[in-house]
Amino acid sequence: MLELNGITAGYDRRAPVFRGARLTLAPGESVGLLGPSGCGKSTLARVAALLHRPDAGRYVLDGTEIRAWRHRAPRELRTAVGVVFQQPRTAADPRLTLADLIAEPLRATGRGAEAAARVADLAPTVGLTPELLSRRPHAVSDGQLQRACLARALSLRPRWLICDEMTAMLDASTTAALVAAVETYRAGTGAGLLAVGHDRVLLERWCDRTVEWKDCLTGGDER
Amino acid sequence: MTGNVLRALEAVTAERAGTALLSVRGLTVRFRLSGGRTVDAVSDADLDLVPGECLALVGESGCGKSVLASALLGLLPANAETTGTALLAGPDGTGPTDLLAAGEKTLARTVRGRRVGLVPQSPAAHLTPVRTVRAHLEETVRALTGVPRRERRARAEEAAERAAFPATHLDRHPHELSGGLAQRAATALALIGDARLLLADEPTTGLDRDLVDRTADELRRHVDEGRALLLITHDLAAAERIADRVAVMYAGRIVETAPAHRFFGPAGPRHPYARGLLDALPERAFTPIPGMPPELTALPDGCAFAPRCPRATDLCGTRPEPRAAVACHHPEHPRA
Amino acid sequence: MADPRTHRLRLWTSAVTVGAVLLAVLLVPPLAQLDEQAVDLSAKLLPPSWDHPFGTDDLGRDLLLRCVYGLRISLLVGLVAALVATVIGTAVGAAAGALGGRLDRGLMRLVDAFSSVPHLLLGIFVVALFRPGVWPVIVSVAVTHWLSTARIVRSEVLSLRSRPYVDAAISGGASRRRVAVRHLLPAVLPQAGLAAVLMVPHAMWHESALSFLGLGLPSHQASLGNLVQTARSSLLAGDWWPTLFPGLLLIVPTLAIAGLAGVWRDRLNPRRRSELML
Repeated sequence: MLELNGITAGYDRRAPVFRGARLTLAPGESVGLLGPSGCGKSTLARVAALLHRPDAGRYVLDGTEIRAWRHRAPRELRTAVGVVFQQPRTAADPRLTLADLIAEPLRATGRGAEAAARVADLAPTVGLTPELLSRRPHAVSDGQLQRACLARALSLRPRWLICDEMTAMLDASTTAALVAAVETYRAGTGAGLLAVGHDRVLLERWCDRTVEWKDCLTGGDER
Repeated sequence: MTGNVLRALEAVTAERAGTALLSVRGLTVRFRLSGGRTVDAVSDADLDLVPGECLALVGESGCGKSVLASALLGLLPANAETTGTALLAGPDGTGPTDLLAAGEKTLARTVRGRRVGLVPQSPAAHLTPVRTVRAHLEETVRALTGVPRRERRARAEEAAERAAFPATHLDRHPHELSGGLAQRAATALALIGDARLLLADEPTTGLDRDLVDRTADELRRHVDEGRALLLITHDLAAAERIADRVAVMYAGRIVETAPAHRFFGPAGPRHPYARGLLDALPERAFTPIPGMPPELTALPDGCAFAPRCPRATDLCGTRPEPRAAVACHHPEHPRA
Repeated sequence: MADPRTHRLRLWTSAVTVGAVLLAVLLVPPLAQLDEQAVDLSAKLLPPSWDHPFGTDDLGRDLLLRCVYGLRISLLVGLVAALVATVIGTAVGAAAGALGGRLDRGLMRLVDAFSSVPHLLLGIFVVALFRPGVWPVIVSVAVTHWLSTARIVRSEVLSLRSRPYVDAAISGGASRRRVAVRHLLPAVLPQAGLAAVLMVPHAMWHESALSFLGLGLPSHQASLGNLVQTARSSLLAGDWWPTLFPGLLLIVPTLAIAGLAGVWRDRLNPRRRSELML
């Protein structure tokens, strides 16, 4: 279970972006969170990914209450949630090749030995060729880079995946390919998904259910 | 298809070219990279655009559609080589200007802003952060028109009104505007010179669906006033909403040009790539086209789509010439 | 960017000049086996000639030889001081930027405090604490020059720290140390390196200024500042060469190093695919 309750978060304590947001995901469930841009849904996604410390509220992930965020959060919890961001350009270290980019989480967690095999495993599932893996971000397109970013998020086999506007910058075919890759991973692992976005048609097609941002805030159970 | 039909189609194309506001023939853009490699960003593109028409140029990111737009405005970097012609009809009976042959001076003084208006991709970045919207508008009025100082304010307000930018927000800075209002402010700027041709480069990227629809509808309104709009986008929904015709670009080539109602309607496009692109939409089959587009540095001799194409045969090793506005050896038959 | 031909010309003239300067200071002293201190009062204040291309000074010492030795010592002081200053600046800037909070505020106030004192005054204060020599000068230059590097590195780290790729690394289980070493430092080092290169001429000038004021190196030791200082009296007498040549040797390498740094700066931003608008 991923349970966010009464979350208040923002970048200035006196003026939070939102107050009292609530969202619950059952294990293995995929939920689309719909809202206009700038409403705070991405901030909530960052809270769920343990990347942004909320000002108030309770977050329980698979039975463990989260009390620390970012580096302070225990590594097992951080890596239980994979994240894909909207803009692959800013989400990729420009110095790493795509292969190193995908392998980075494995190396960072002391599992560098498995890296080569895992990258070889993941690359075809997101549609990357060996030649592309040897390139750096500036030599590939946004779509190709986003495929690598998705592979990176999957490299540690997270139980939860958070896709924050993952396909907003991409064309229809790449969008469909990335969604298919996410769904293949979920079918194989039973991972849960929180997909944040503003494209109703896409999220309704992709997810088990969709939630309106305003329903997260009114406090009523969104189901 | 019989020869007669082809000839009839050719005649229609020639007719269009006669009344066209913008007529592009054989536009090719290459970038020379260090190490002797070249990027074939645009190859042999033909387009016609008549007043009161919206042509959507669609394709995946990196297919060369933005390069095409930049070539028309003379905004390419120095390592680009451009060939072909792009005739922009002159104002009121004067001769056409070849945008590709015109010098920077001509483009800067008579074309950009005056005869071709650009609606940019990220309006917030297009506006100077330290100046208000009114200052932007008045500055553009001053630069593009000979309006005396005391009338500038009125002209700026008129321009804002035309783009449906609320007068109450004129004294705000760009960061105080929502995405939709910033887009309108940028559109207002593009309209000041009263250009008959509007070029919109991904005007809806990153906007919400509601905002995409509003932005698209506003652009359509300007088309209905008699302007021509070249809408460059990867957003097929926006294209479907406002375009009269759709041109599909793949790996630097325009592979199909079709009327929007046929393209999005039950008949569907005829090029397998265009069909694959539509089938990838979540409201349709939601299935991706297998594989990825080829590198623009190493395009195959034949059809660039053949490696991903379910209909490819040996014939596809040769380049398909456009026939009836479809560049394919094995075009699909209309679905309905 | 400028037209590629001027670009290449700038690169080559700068590189050749820096190369020539380095060769001269490295090879001339051991190879020439001449004594730059050799006094010959019969040949004092001779204008430039074939025997003495730069002329001689008021004690009849060959100025070309003294200039090369002077450049050698000035360059050495400049290089070492710039290196020390860059290391201090990068460490302080990176710590302030990466750790933030009270430490950041404290360190930056320290930087502000140091900056508010005129550099030369602070430098004089430092050399006054020690006996004249090379090391006090290096310390004096380093102490006054790490401030700008610290600021550059801190702001770079701050802007990098908020990039989504750092978020992605944290989410991928990376430790603080790994984020700093693998993602932040490699991005900052080229900037810091560039600052270091640009600091070399600055440090040379600082050394020269101290020596010119008589506070730097002992006056018998040929450094560019000392040379200009001793030549002051002869300049009033109409002898131009003892000031001109040391001055030129200060200016020309400065311009050449700045030229090389400029080329480096252009290279730092790899041409992005997006710049081709693809």
